[in-house]
Parts: sequence; C-alpha cells; structure tokens
Amino acid sequence: MEAEVLEANILLPTHLSFKRIQMSEKYPKGHARGRHWKHLKQILQAENYQIYSSNEPNYVNIESPPSMYPSKKFCDITGFEAPYIDPRTNLRYANTDVFKCIRSLPNEYVQRYLALRNAAVVLK
Amino acid sequence: MQRNPPLIPPSEKRRFDPLDRNPGMYFKQERDLSVHAIAPMMGVFVVGNESIADEVEFQVDVIQQTKLEAIDISSNLAFLREHFSSALRRFCFAVYSHDFIFSMLNLRAEQVDHPILITECVCNPVQSRSKLAELLFEGYGVPSVAFGVDAVFSYKYNQQIGVCDKDGLAVWSGLNTSHIIPFVNGEPVFEACCRTNIGGYHVTDYLKQLLSLKYPNHMSNITWEKVEDLKMEHCYVALDYASEVRLFQKGAKEAEEKNRCWQLPWIPPPAEEPPSEEEIARKAAIKEKQGQRLREMAAAKRSSRITELENELQGLEFLLHQLENVQENDVPSFLSETGYISKLEIESAVVRVTQSLKKAKREQVEIEEKMDPSMTEKYTLINIPDNMLSPEQLKEKRKQLFIKTTSEGRQRAKQKRFEEELDRERQNELDEKKRLENPELYLEQLHAKHRELSEKFEQRKRLKVNGTHTNESHNSSGGVGCGERLNAAQKERMRLLTTAAFDRGKGEDTLGTRDEDWQLYKLMSKDIDDDDEGQDEDEAELARVTSRLQDIDPTFVAKSEIGPFQTIVEIPRFRPLTKEDFQIILGVERFRCPEILFQPNMIGIDQAGMDEMAGISIRRLPLKGNSVEERITNSILMTGGSCLFPGMGERLEAGIRKIRPFESPIRVVRASDPVLDAWRGAAAVPFSEQTFSRQDYYEKGEDWLRRYNLRYTF
Repeated sequence: MEAEVLEANILLPTHLSFKRIQMSEKYPKGHARGRHWKHLKQILQAENYQIYSSNEPNYVNIESPPSMYPSKKFCDITGFEAPYIDPRTNLRYANTDVFKCIRSLPNEYVQRYLALRNAAVVLK
Repeated sequence: MQRNPPLIPPSEKRRFDPLDRNPGMYFKQERDLSVHAIAPMMGVFVVGNESIADEVEFQVDVIQQTKLEAIDISSNLAFLREHFSSALRRFCFAVYSHDFIFSMLNLRAEQVDHPILITECVCNPVQSRSKLAELLFEGYGVPSVAFGVDAVFSYKYNQQIGVCDKDGLAVWSGLNTSHIIPFVNGEPVFEACCRTNIGGYHVTDYLKQLLSLKYPNHMSNITWEKVEDLKMEHCYVALDYASEVRLFQKGAKEAEEKNRCWQLPWIPPPAEEPPSEEEIARKAAIKEKQGQRLREMAAAKRSSRITELENELQGLEFLLHQLENVQENDVPSFLSETGYISKLEIESAVVRVTQSLKKAKREQVEIEEKMDPSMTEKYTLINIPDNMLSPEQLKEKRKQLFIKTTSEGRQRAKQKRFEEELDRERQNELDEKKRLENPELYLEQLHAKHRELSEKFEQRKRLKVNGTHTNESHNSSGGVGCGERLNAAQKERMRLLTTAAFDRGKGEDTLGTRDEDWQLYKLMSKDIDDDDEGQDEDEAELARVTSRLQDIDPTFVAKSEIGPFQTIVEIPRFRPLTKEDFQIILGVERFRCPEILFQPNMIGIDQAGMDEMAGISIRRLPLKGNSVEERITNSILMTGGSCLFPGMGERLEAGIRKIRPFESPIRVVRASDPVLDAWRGAAAVPFSEQTFSRQDYYEKGEDWLRRYNLRYTF
C-alpha cells in the first residue's frame, strides 16, 4: 500500500473481531468477484406489490406522476428559452448564433447534448 | 432501565456535504482518491442503551474519514456513478460501512452487542430491509434492529426544537431522490407521500456534462469531485427561471456580475523579454569575435593556397625552362618522369595555375562576367546545324542546349522574383500613402474586403460542412441528396463515377479490367485538390487582411472570436494561448442545474418537480378538510443535503403558492442542519421497545418486516 493510503487511516484491518465471516473468506482474493446485484426493477418485481391492497403505500405507489405543467423548452446548449428546433439534429436552440454552432458540432456532441435531455437515439 | 443517552453533537468543524451525506455514512477520503461511496438513504447509528463494561453509552458521530479496502476502490467508484435507486441494493458497501463504523468504535467483542437503528428510504422494499437485517444479525450478531425513515427523523427533530409544527410537510431532497412527506399529528402519512427520482446526484451530473461539452479541452480537469465542489459553492436556485435566463440572454450587466470564472492552473509560456542592453552588446561582441575568427581562418586558408599555387607555378616554370634545354628527342623520356606528356600540357597547366593564383589573390570574383563570354564560347555548337556535326559533337550540342535553357530559365525566374518584389514594395508604399491620406476610408475599404472574404470563406465552409454532413449520413461517396447543392468538384466526381461505372453498356460491370480505368480516381482526387487549393488562396488572403486590420484598427476583432455565449471555445491557431483559454465560466449553469429539481423535464425525467409534488402530496391526503391543509402548508420543512441551494426556499414558496388557494398561509423553513438532522432525530427516538430482535428474526422470518413500522412520536 502506498504510504498515503496507510497514513490516511482508511484501511480496514483484515480481521475484524466482531464479524462472523470475514471479508477475506467471503471474497477470496483471486476469485472472480461474481457479485450480481439485482437491479431495482428486479427487486420491485420480486416484491409482488399486486397482491397487496393498492391503498397501502409501497415503493412504487408513492412515485410522483408526470408533471401537469406543460414543459418549457430551453436551449440545449445555452439554457436560454428556445422556441426553435433544428430539424436535422433535433436540438433546441435559441437564436442564430447558437444555430451556427449547432451545425458545426460533430455528431458525438450532438448525441451527448440529446442524451442530457434523454432524447438521444439509442441503438440497441 | 431506559436511559436517554447523552447526545454527542457532531463537531462543527466538519465540512458539510450537501450531497446528502446522511449522518453516519460519509465516505470521503482526503487526498486525491476521493471516493464518495454512499449507501444512500441509509445511515447507521449505534445507539447503545446497554452499557458495556468499559464504555458506557456512546453514540456514533458522523464519521468523516472512512476506510475502504484498497482493492475495491475501483468498484466503489463504479458504484457511485451507477447507483440510481434509493433502495439499498449493493450490500457490499453496507458491509464496508458497517465494518468501518464498528472498527472505528473499537469494538473488540465477538459480536456487536448493541441494538442498531438504521434509516432507510420511504417505503423501502422488503427485500432491502430483509437483506440488511440478515447482514446485521448473521454477520455481526446484533441483538436487535430498528428501521426508520430519515426524513421523518429530521422532521421530528425539528419539531422538537420548534422549527416546525406537529402538522406539516417535510420536503426532503437527497442524493438520488426527493421525497415529500406530510405529517398529521406528528405521525407521517405515508399514503400521501410522494417521490421523484431526482436528487443531488443528477444535479452534479448535469453540471458535469454541460461543462464537459462546453469545454472539451479541459475535460480532464472537470472531475466529479470538482464539479461537486463547484455545485456546492456556486449553484443557486433562481426564483423564476425564465426571467433569470432572459437577463442572461440580453447580456445585462447583472448577468455579467453573476458569471463566475474558474481559472484552471496554467503556466504561461516563458516570456521572451526583450534582451537588455548588456545582452545585446554581449551578443554583438560575440558575433564580432566569431566573424573575426572566420575571417582570419579564411585569410589563412587563402594565403596557404596562394603559397601552394606559387610553388606549383615555380616548379612548372622551372620544368619548362629545363625543357628548353633538353633536346627534342629526349623530351618524352624527360617528361615521363614528371608526369606531363607534352610541352603544350605543361604550358596549359601553367596558364591554369596563374589563373587560380590571380583568383585567389583577388577578393571578389565576378563570376557572371566571366560566365558571359564563356557562355557564348560554350554554346558554339548550337548554332551549327545538325547534319554537319559528328555524333559526339551532337551529344555535346544537346548538352549545351540543355545547359543554356536551364540557365536562361533560372535567370528569368530571378528576374521575375525581383520584379515581384519591386511590385509588392510599390503596392505597400501606395497602401501606406493611401492610409496616411485618408485613414477612415482606407479602414472602411479594408473592413469591406474582410467582410466579403470572410463571407465567401464561410459560405464555402458551409457548403463543405453540408457536404460532409450528408456524407456522414448517407455513407455514399458523392454526398448526394436532400437538395444540397453540390459544388463543382462534387458534381464532377459524381459524373465521373456514374459515367465510368455504367458506361460499359449491356449492364456488365467491367470497370477495372483495364488499367486506364483506375486513372479515374486520380482525376477525382485532382478535382478535390483543385478546390482546396482555391480555398487556400482565399484563406491566405483572408488571413492577411485580418492581420492587417488587427495591426491598424484596435477595435477590430476577428469574427471567429466573438461569441455572445461561451460555446465550444476554439483556440485560434495564430495566437498563443492566453490566460483566458484556461478559464471555465459558469454563467447560466449556476442556476440551470438546480432547476432540474423543480423541472425534471429538463433532464428528460417525466415526473413532477418539487413544488408540484407538494401539491400532489396534499391532494393525496386521506383526510381532507381545509384546516388540515392550511396547517400543513404553514410549516413546510426543507431538509436533506440537496436543499442547501440558496434561493430554494423562496422558489418552493412561490411554487406552492401557485397551487394553493389565494392567501393561504405558506411558511417554508429550512431545517436547522439539513445534513445531520436525521441523525439527531434518530438519536432522540426511544426505540428499544420497537425493535426487531434476533429472536423475532429467527422465529418470524424476514417477511415479518413487511409490517414493521416504527412509531415516531414519543
């Protein structure tokens, strides 16, 4: 270990007395860490919320619904109000300067801007 | 006996991390390996009600430093970036956190002997709870466990200290989620609770992406931790996003003031100072000396060469002299010793030597003058018609012809260059005169020229860009389609391709069988080259005009440098890097990023924002009646790490006012300590009667936890 790691006092000792099973036994070094954590969706599905009455609050129940307010459109690049959309890239822009900039963006950046808005084209 | 353990308040010196460092779990290594691994929505408290032999009650404080086994640092980082749910999923980090806490407490016993109260998210899935219980009971041997919601603890604590009332609304904004929980009679009403999956993590992520896209050159500097710091320091919530943004769009002075500038570390290139007087003098002296040395060397060489030649001349003359004395018959034998064959040769050698001697003695040699007479001699053969010469002479003649034409060509080129120089100088002089006569007019003309050149340039660039864009999207070599106007070169290429490929007739494709077919590509590429060349000329012209303008006109700024907004900053090639290139400016982003808490649509998450959630929550209340609602809105508490943004209270109030009837009382307060109040609240709750003991775990199993609900009032 590097000196600074040791100094920072952040290393756990390998054997902790209060644990029944030590980490080193559970995840021996050299073994592939086959940790498969369940996705949230899987956990929720396993919960079987349909069986129970829908009046009781559960993790899925209390989620908030989509917003009632009409969504305001803001420019993807500057954050100003954006009444226009570029037909080629589907980016929103606020004025002509931004438009010029958009047109000279490489494709990668276009996709990243769209991904910020969750509007990127995802090829599965 | 139930003793209320004394509260050890967390020390004040700690840096509060608004990213919802729920008390208890706050992993942050100092130094450079800062890993923020959190088990979100989970805090661990060891509230000891039993006394141990050596230590009485104690409580765990917020722990600032943590240990993480060095092996797992990378996976910890991965965990941080991907964790999106607030239900605990990855238990290895729970394990680590527990390990850390317990070892921090210096627990030496075989098992952890204290009951544990753990905070969780609202309506935690049973599986999370049960896994955690399993971990604690089986892994650590904890006697009993209790679960509670952190937001509620926070509210209860604040209720205790009088910040909010018995009925109210807790607005909790955490790392990954935000919850709204109404309280009636001191107990949370979970049926009316509301959750949106936006939290501090999303805000930081948004900021990071925006900055990386705007400043791609500095992407390595824009790290997660740095962006978090930026967010904590500089972000605020605008009272009305639209009007704030309009301020910036107009470019008003207030907007300028709101810009914050982050200067990246930057080392200016070593400045070349104008050499001082001594430097110049010293350098001149050195040059002088060197020149002197060179001259001396040249003189020495020349003198040695002269003496050599003189000696040779003397020897040859002596030889000649001797030759005269020798008789005719003995000449060959006499000469064979010396290496010369005939008298003529000796004489010619003498002539040569005297010539070189003369040359060496003279300082400058006019080669050209010598050349001209020799030229006319050399080219004697040219004028003689071919049929009179022998084959050897013909060869000679051709050589002479060749030499003559090349030297003439060289002379012509030199002449032309000279003339061009003169021309250019004359032009410059004219220019200068014009400028001096009428500076304004000249400037205008120059501006106009610059404008039209740059327009032409931009248009060409646009065409090119359009062409390449369509290239990308269509994957065809010609870039046809969609009404794009091809320029001449592209049209030519298309024509070549189509005619060549389909010219064979009868539908057979025999292009390529003959070697000449491949010349097609040469033609094609040549076309493109021509186009580029033309562009280069224009570019050079543009650059020249630009530099001229920059020299003359102090107010002129090249067009490429202007940007009313800071877009992708291009560093122009013809300018050395300055301090400004290494600055990252946070303007609109300061309030654009926390805005997503109120408008999740900006990120594409289709849920209600925090102000709307409050309305939804009130609507969902099972028992209606105006008075309840009024009481609730009268005490709205903001807690959780992500509510530390300045301006959030006002925004929330304005947002809720929109939904509530006219003139209903609305009071929004911030918790006394948003980050740590949950811990304090939890520490104050007497929960030893309500725990889930190990006995229960073994007998009733995990599923019983489903119906486990902590009662929060005391």
